[in-house]
Amino acid sequence: MLDVIQSMLVVALPAATPLIFGGLSGLFSERSGVVNIAIEGMMLAAAFFGFIVGVRTGNLGLALGGAVVTGMVMASLHAVLSIAFRVDQIISGTVINVLAIGLTGYLDRKLYPSGAPAGQRTLPEIEIPLLSDIPFFGEILFRHGVIVYAAFVAVVVAAVVLYRTRWGLRVRAVGEHPLAAETAGISVYAVRYASVIAGGALAGLGGAYFTLQSIPQFQPLMTNGRGFIALAALIFGKWTPFGVLGAALFFAIAETIPSTLQIQGVHSIALEVAGTTLFDVAIPYQVFGLLPYVLTILVLAGAVGRAVPPAAVGQPYTRKA
Amino acid sequence: MIRGRFGAILAVIAACALLLGACGDDKKEDSGGSKPAGGASTSASGGKKLKVGLVTDVGKVDDKSFNQSAWEGVQRAQKELGADVKFIETTDPKDYAKNIETFANEKYDVIVTVGFGLGEATAAAAKKYPNIKFIGVDQFQAESVTNIAGLIFDEDKAGYLAGALAAQMSKSGTIGQVLGTDVVPPVVKFGKGYEAGAKAVKPEIKVLTWYHPGGLAKGFSDPEEGKKQALQMISQGADVIFGAGGNTGNGALLGCAEKNVLAIGVDTDQYLTLPQAQKVLVSSAMKLITPGVFDIIKGVQENSFKGGNFTGQVGLAPFHDLESQVSQAVKDKLKQIDAGLKDGSIKTNVKV
Repeated sequence: MLDVIQSMLVVALPAATPLIFGGLSGLFSERSGVVNIAIEGMMLAAAFFGFIVGVRTGNLGLALGGAVVTGMVMASLHAVLSIAFRVDQIISGTVINVLAIGLTGYLDRKLYPSGAPAGQRTLPEIEIPLLSDIPFFGEILFRHGVIVYAAFVAVVVAAVVLYRTRWGLRVRAVGEHPLAAETAGISVYAVRYASVIAGGALAGLGGAYFTLQSIPQFQPLMTNGRGFIALAALIFGKWTPFGVLGAALFFAIAETIPSTLQIQGVHSIALEVAGTTLFDVAIPYQVFGLLPYVLTILVLAGAVGRAVPPAAVGQPYTRKA
Repeated sequence: MIRGRFGAILAVIAACALLLGACGDDKKEDSGGSKPAGGASTSASGGKKLKVGLVTDVGKVDDKSFNQSAWEGVQRAQKELGADVKFIETTDPKDYAKNIETFANEKYDVIVTVGFGLGEATAAAAKKYPNIKFIGVDQFQAESVTNIAGLIFDEDKAGYLAGALAAQMSKSGTIGQVLGTDVVPPVVKFGKGYEAGAKAVKPEIKVLTWYHPGGLAKGFSDPEEGKKQALQMISQGADVIFGAGGNTGNGALLGCAEKNVLAIGVDTDQYLTLPQAQKVLVSSAMKLITPGVFDIIKGVQENSFKGGNFTGQVGLAPFHDLESQVSQAVKDKLKQIDAGLKDGSIKTNVKV
């Protein structure tokens, strides 16, 4: 039993990685007052262009840079539309998601009609000496790819930046009460641009997980809705870095449960009391597939309590001349 | 005012994005139609020279997979039977019928269509051109039509061999398999055959099985998920993993490579198609498409062609780099099982 739980957690950590980066991406954007439903599109585009840079240059460092820059470019588009042009932020985000799907799907077919070139490498997997030998936890925590570790570091960095730096204070001020911040001499536009674009860089790292860490391939739509689950993690985590971390881990573990049950060959639910079988119902494995969604709904509906978004989120700001 | 203008810009961007999406679906409309290529015949055998055309599934004729294997069968017909051969690469599923038509209009004798996806178009063309013989690779014929031969395979036997190999290579007593969707019968045949083969040589072996729950839409194109399941199985002690599910299965093989765990590929010799997994790839459960296609074409030449299903051979790919790790006893056992499966003395007992 313990080894099964261990194997589940071994998989859950990488699975949580794009959710953590995606959640942090949304965190910076939304704490500064800009709704970001474009995390999915940013990650997908970053996964694709990071991969292309890797194929063309053969250098994974440049590929990672390519993914981050792609995230920032997509985020800049969102920033320009929603900050300068005051477009409805939900619409702007939707446009970016659709753009990313179309662009990557089209270019992928155009460039690699018979599949991407084989033989690409992925970022290294690092077993941390000594720590990786700790029984049970060693394998779960300390034998992963570099981007997985980076996600955890990013949570700490995000928390420090947001709560311990002047810039973080400005981000929060602008997201809560932009007019007051402006009165205090803070440029609302500048802070929002910087926050959204920094969020784009984080989404870029989330995208890099797919094609530079997990699999040396690009598949159309390979982010598979993880950007939206990241958004749920942001809300579930109440717009805080460690909240995002906890929520991302929760969703990742929930996502792993169905496959674990299937691998373990669980195909019925039975209840036995004192030697008599009360019921024994066969259940197709697809039903277990519903579990994460049911858990998500239950958690978001009741268990968390009220999640209060930043006060000025979603409201375009017009500078009072 | 400003809002209106930028609203328009936004609308244009959105429209572009949608257009791009649409473009993704019908690229290369002109050249997608017909790009006949290939060599002309060099030697004529006897009086009549057979004209053989091949239509690929989406992808190139040198894809190191299905298309290439089928094309090699056609090329063998060129060499050994003196056939006149050509191929058309399909770039979009909606060109299937058009590409088949191109050969039909040029009065080809045999048209080979590669892949399950071309099944409908092939059946329609066969009805329209009763004098042309069609060979449908991986196209099961539910009812026999006189001018279509469906080249199908006993995936359960290929899986059985893979399972027997895996069970014998395993030291931990646990092996795994990461499969595509169970909506597709050949996938289930691979999976059940693998388990049966493993249990036949080691009754106490534990076989961890995972099917992708995503159906046809995602089942074969989710390598990230496939890799995660392989990692999970490895963590549970599996030391040989069979990846059978297109790119999902390839993901599992990549996971094995990362953790240095033995892997078995599927369909073609994946040592050639997935270089990152070479160091752990002990073999692949292959469908031998090339000889199957050739044999049917030869049947046409010799007037022994029959409509219906034609079962091709299956077998294990060479061990390549891991040759030395596979003991002679294991090789002998596999040879014996292979012979047994062929002469019918060993049954997989897989029903799908």
